[in-house]
Amino acid sequence: MRKAHYYDRLQRWGYVFILPTVILFSIFLIFPMIDSFRLSLFKWNLVGTKIFVGFENFSKLFKDKRFWNSYLVTLHFTFLSVIILMFISFWLSLALTSRLIRFKSVFQSMIFLPVVLAMVAIAVVWRFMFQTTGLLSILFLDVFGLNIPWLSSTKVAPYAVILVNVWKYTGYYMVMFIAGLLEVPEVYYEAARIDGAGFWGRLIYITLPSLKNTLILIFVSCVIFSFGTFALQYVMTEGGPSRSTEVLALLIYKEAFEYTKFGYAAAISVIFFITLLIFSIIQVKIFKSRTVY
Amino acid sequence: MSKPEIIKIALYIGLSIIGLIYIFPFIWMVLSSFKLNKDVLAIPIKILPPVWNFKSYYNAFHYSDYDFPRYFLNNFIVTIFAVLLCLFLSTTAGYGFAKYKFKGNNILFTIVLSTIMIPFQAIIIPLFVLVRKLGMQNSYLGLIIPEGLTAFGVFLMRQFFYSIPDEIIESARIDGANEWCIFWRISLPMAKTAVLALTILHAQWVWNLLIWPLVVISSPEMRTLPQAIALFTGVYFTPYPEQLAISVCACLPTLVLFFFLSKNFVQGITLTGLKK
Repeated sequence: MRKAHYYDRLQRWGYVFILPTVILFSIFLIFPMIDSFRLSLFKWNLVGTKIFVGFENFSKLFKDKRFWNSYLVTLHFTFLSVIILMFISFWLSLALTSRLIRFKSVFQSMIFLPVVLAMVAIAVVWRFMFQTTGLLSILFLDVFGLNIPWLSSTKVAPYAVILVNVWKYTGYYMVMFIAGLLEVPEVYYEAARIDGAGFWGRLIYITLPSLKNTLILIFVSCVIFSFGTFALQYVMTEGGPSRSTEVLALLIYKEAFEYTKFGYAAAISVIFFITLLIFSIIQVKIFKSRTVY
Repeated sequence: MSKPEIIKIALYIGLSIIGLIYIFPFIWMVLSSFKLNKDVLAIPIKILPPVWNFKSYYNAFHYSDYDFPRYFLNNFIVTIFAVLLCLFLSTTAGYGFAKYKFKGNNILFTIVLSTIMIPFQAIIIPLFVLVRKLGMQNSYLGLIIPEGLTAFGVFLMRQFFYSIPDEIIESARIDGANEWCIFWRISLPMAKTAVLALTILHAQWVWNLLIWPLVVISSPEMRTLPQAIALFTGVYFTPYPEQLAISVCACLPTLVLFFFLSKNFVQGITLTGLKK
């Protein structure tokens, strides 16, 4: 009995260990999260007095074309980035786990290189390559005879930004896929081979089901990452031309720190957060209901 | 030729082309930083510098209104301390959640973990208001504390400490070691790989972060490197090679890390997949 009592008391040491984290997370993450809801109910320019306006910011927001433009731009960016990134990194990971080839680490490092580079530096370089006399423009003109206005057309700029984003993060997700692929027991493939399954058969019936957890993880982190994109647009296009690349994070930043509309910017943050919340609830619902194996 | 051989050759060719595409922009960036201003965007394209210009690197560090040596220093200070804070919080909390059965363990962990879903961008406004109220605007502290918090780190370390057998901790207790001592001398050394991986991933994130410095720093001497580069290259009269030279320099620290610790880099990302 005495021993159990002593053991129970020892467990309270857990509080000591988690205390610093709980305090700092509460102050600097959880409190601001809640506070953004409060701030969204005010009209405020940071230095003047706060004026309570209720849900006026939101009703204004829903009628604001600029906000809806940003929302759609962000969804478009996220949707395409996620699909393309997952597609390319998946096939590359398959190629790089193939037993047919050597020098895998060399290829892997080459594709991983952009992950390590600073986003700001990347944006600077690509901005140069996208210039009218930049490398990429000239290349497309000479090779394909196409004159592509990469960053000066509202039709092309959103795709140019997605292109850079995909180039930057392919290596990251590829490495995650490779880790998942290496976990699949080799005996599964052996068994499938004996049963006469071809490449596609193995892919659909063994590889993809075994990768379920990896796929969910990559999908979720890819969506959250892409939805919060900021540095790329801030440096490369500043949201232009004609706001065609003005993503939500950039709009929040501009409304607050350029136009000093802090209440309004907080309202956009709330919508931003709620969107991701809905996404994660749906994601949990879908994937929890299908825990087959 | 047999079928596997054709596939093999196709894989080599395909991967080589893709690999080259992925590293080419970086090579172009390095080469162009040594060009003359007029050669960077010249037609026809000049891949190699016709004239090697080394002055761009000297110039980039000697602007009167851009103190880049200072920005490098700022970036190093912020990165080092934010990573130390992150490591301290992640290892202690991870250990506390993994190895002690106290009331509220699960709920508190769920709350901490749920902050993974809060992207930095969603809270910059209230966070800025808070940091300003605390008088930490334009200070290292205002950068370090928010950038040192990561629920991912707590999650990662908790997973890692789970794998340490309770018997080891029990036997240390019987030997009379106190709880902190057990954590510091016995458990933490066992988590070396996870700590190193977390260090690299977090250092890279902090080193390159743009949005938070942009919000919280307004005085020129406190700028971080990404922030200064964004400003410096946004001005249209900055010479091109100088813009590229400073960008190359900003990439060097993480590139060096990657060069020597590429295994841990990959390991860090792989550990992300350690979901229970």
